[in-house]
Amino acid sequence: MTIALQVLISGLAAGGVYGLFAAGHSLMYRLTGIVNFAFGDLVGLGIFATLLVLAGTSPVTQSGAHEPRFLGALIVGLVLCVAAGVATYVGIVQPYLARGSTIGWVAGTAAVAFAIRAVIGATFQRASYVFPDPLPFHRVGSAGFIRVAGAHVEARAFFVIGLALALALGSAWLLERTRFGRALRAVADDAEGARVVGVPVDLFVALAFGLVGALAMIAAIAAAPGEAVSANTGTLLGLKGLVAALAVRFGPPLRAFAAGLVLGVVEAGIANIHLGSWQLGPSYREVLPIAFVLLLIAAWPSREALEERE
Amino acid sequence: MSTTALTRTGTELRRAFTEARSGWSWRGWIAVAAVALAALVPFLSLPGVRVDGLANTVYLAVAATGLGLTVGGAGLPSLGQGAFLAVGGFTSALLMAREGWPLEPAALAGAAAAVVAALLSGGVVRLKPAFVAVSTWLLAWLVWLFLLAFPSVSGGSQGLIVPERNLLGLAATPTVHFEVALALLVLSAVGIAAVRRSAAGLELSALRQAPPLATSLGVRLGRRRLGAFVASAFIAGLSGGLAVQLASVADPAAYDPFLSFKLLVAVLLGGAAATLGPAVGIAVLGLIGLLADPLARVLQLPLERFDTAVAAVLLLFVLALGGAGIIPWLEQLRPRAERRKRQVTVSYGDAEATGGPADTVLVAEGLRKAFGGVVALDGLSLELARGRTTALVGPNGSGKTTALRLLSGTEQADAGRVLLGGRDVSEASTHERVRLGLARTLQTTVAFAELTALESVLVGRSVRRRHGGAIRAALATPSSRAEERAAETAGLEALALVGLEREADTPAPELTSSQRRLVALAAALAAEPDVLLVDELAAGAGAEELEHLAGVVDRIRAGGVALLLVEHNLRLIRLVADRVIVLAAGRAVAEGPVAEIAETEVLRSAYLGAQRL
Repeated sequence: MTIALQVLISGLAAGGVYGLFAAGHSLMYRLTGIVNFAFGDLVGLGIFATLLVLAGTSPVTQSGAHEPRFLGALIVGLVLCVAAGVATYVGIVQPYLARGSTIGWVAGTAAVAFAIRAVIGATFQRASYVFPDPLPFHRVGSAGFIRVAGAHVEARAFFVIGLALALALGSAWLLERTRFGRALRAVADDAEGARVVGVPVDLFVALAFGLVGALAMIAAIAAAPGEAVSANTGTLLGLKGLVAALAVRFGPPLRAFAAGLVLGVVEAGIANIHLGSWQLGPSYREVLPIAFVLLLIAAWPSREALEERE
Repeated sequence: MSTTALTRTGTELRRAFTEARSGWSWRGWIAVAAVALAALVPFLSLPGVRVDGLANTVYLAVAATGLGLTVGGAGLPSLGQGAFLAVGGFTSALLMAREGWPLEPAALAGAAAAVVAALLSGGVVRLKPAFVAVSTWLLAWLVWLFLLAFPSVSGGSQGLIVPERNLLGLAATPTVHFEVALALLVLSAVGIAAVRRSAAGLELSALRQAPPLATSLGVRLGRRRLGAFVASAFIAGLSGGLAVQLASVADPAAYDPFLSFKLLVAVLLGGAAATLGPAVGIAVLGLIGLLADPLARVLQLPLERFDTAVAAVLLLFVLALGGAGIIPWLEQLRPRAERRKRQVTVSYGDAEATGGPADTVLVAEGLRKAFGGVVALDGLSLELARGRTTALVGPNGSGKTTALRLLSGTEQADAGRVLLGGRDVSEASTHERVRLGLARTLQTTVAFAELTALESVLVGRSVRRRHGGAIRAALATPSSRAEERAAETAGLEALALVGLEREADTPAPELTSSQRRLVALAAALAAEPDVLLVDELAAGAGAEELEHLAGVVDRIRAGGVALLLVEHNLRLIRLVADRVIVLAAGRAVAEGPVAEIAETEVLRSAYLGAQRL
């Protein structure tokens, strides 16, 4: 039971981050019909820009950051992440959408992904880095862990879960209530129609491409000090988001977020839970969910995923 | 009997030889010379060129050529070809290292494993391109993450050591590998070129350009695309299975998703439309790699990262130029051949006179379809007889097109059944119905963007072909070649029937929209239907065109076809229809001979509705 609680909480914390990536993927798909393969790496770019401003490319200790400096670094990272997202839409996605070339945006966004990974890898040449932590979680409980109903849980997990939920619900509110949000929903329903009634479609979609990156980046940075970060961090988070988004066929962003939460818990469960003597173990953590979602879409594609037939 | 078979084989071989010789051009000689030169490369000991690296590059080119069939042929944006290379490579490596298998069967087992992987994930070929891209991307990651997570399979960070082996009876040195890889490249390129020119290739190309139009003509989307996907996985698996012995180690790090991306870059760089494009793309990437090595050393950058960035930037550059790739660019430089004028001497005589006993071929009973709460069709029954033209009229939204969809099998009816020649086809797929003689045209004037009028018609013919399969076409068996000629004749006849025989070699996008409608009609006719459902033939037609259309419809009917026209143009209906069914709100409100119905108030109120002045 205590194991289950531990799995649930750490899974939800990881899943909250996955969820924001999934929601971003699904929003971008619904706005444009494309999948941004560079999404994870664009966020990774923001994370490493933050790290660069904070500590350069040398290794840092976890508590080496002062708050004002951290805030500045975070803003630099966020601005870069948003700018890179906007640039990806304007430079890579939009031209091929206009031309109706699928292979163009597929290869283009994948190229951006690999180019960013190469740049990060060339700048930060160590295998992994410790991300400095501006919030003193290590002072909470015993070295950052607290006991909940007999289970040892990282205090940070609660913060990450809360932050991810707040970001997800906040942006859902934004989509529902603000003019910008309503315009985006109009674009998702019918881009041509939205253009006709005067929505600046390209501007708003470009902004959306940037902002989903910022949301995912905040969550990723909140979780980052928990484990080592590497050039693969962003890529893998983007991949998890994609798995969750595909599981719900790029449905509404909140549903994709929920799928991300589920994915986090499932991964934690696969890694830790054993039923009697039967246990899967950590090796299966990453491969099983991907294999499952892949088989699911191959065997039971939903109507909206199928190729048009008249 | 065996003597006649021998004589026939002899005749066919001679004919094939003559055709091959007349089709042979200087380009053929260039190809032969290029292959011969390439085969000599390992013996030249060029400075700075290592034979093992070269052989590995050729293996990559083989995998890329296979990917060309998926991307260029089937139009599937696959980001997962590297996964098949990895599956083939590790299967082969495990069998050699742990079970002591010889190289050849191990590599074949690798290819078989890749085929199994492709079949397991093969359902994704039915999906929209965006979903295909995501699924194949996930596949590439899945295989790589699996290799990382299970060192017991992959040998962990050291990889699996592959023992020395013989290849085709010789010690498998880099030179032997190179020659084998080159042969494999030639074989797969020739095979893929043949497939792309075959009937199956035409179907693939039709599916790539306009999926709805192709499927409405009875082309089986899932089956054809799966064929291309699996064939390309087989090629990758085989080359991966062989290449792993050349490397003497199966290293998981070599199969990260970047490999899949690199293969896609090669395809796009060289040109997806050309069979040799992907191989050229790999060659270019290899050359850039050679040049990049010293540059990276000067800049003190980690080599493999640099390689990645170069490939990515190069691709963005090609894409930004709107590039079709190197080979298509080169072909554009060449002066284009004159469009050959075709002498058409086909006549479509009014063979059978009208009248006679009209036997019913299609019966629909109580067809019903609701979309959510909206009932589009509420119990429609109708009968169509040979040599009779029935018109289905009614205002927009009355259920006409829904009726056609239910009859042709693009939508499944909620209730009711369709009998074709007495056989219940209610559950049958569109392909099956077309094959049994129920063809249909679409309302849209979408054309296949890269096909000529005649080729578009041949897409419709494909359902009648029995020897048009990819393998037979690749081997150019006599039956498949005879069928090829027969199909072309039938296609020209169908074009002549609609009066477009002169436009046979005109690219479909250059046709006017009314000509496109006629080409679509000819494509449906090429399937030799007993029943033909025509959606809005006369939309936007002028008075003169109307006369022509009436003539076409009458000729089709005279051929003994049962016609159902969904039509807004009452003049055409008066000219050609025998019976009229008036639909309103999903129900047949009147039915009878044209003259009768035309006089009644029912038609006016239903058909003209509120527009009546």
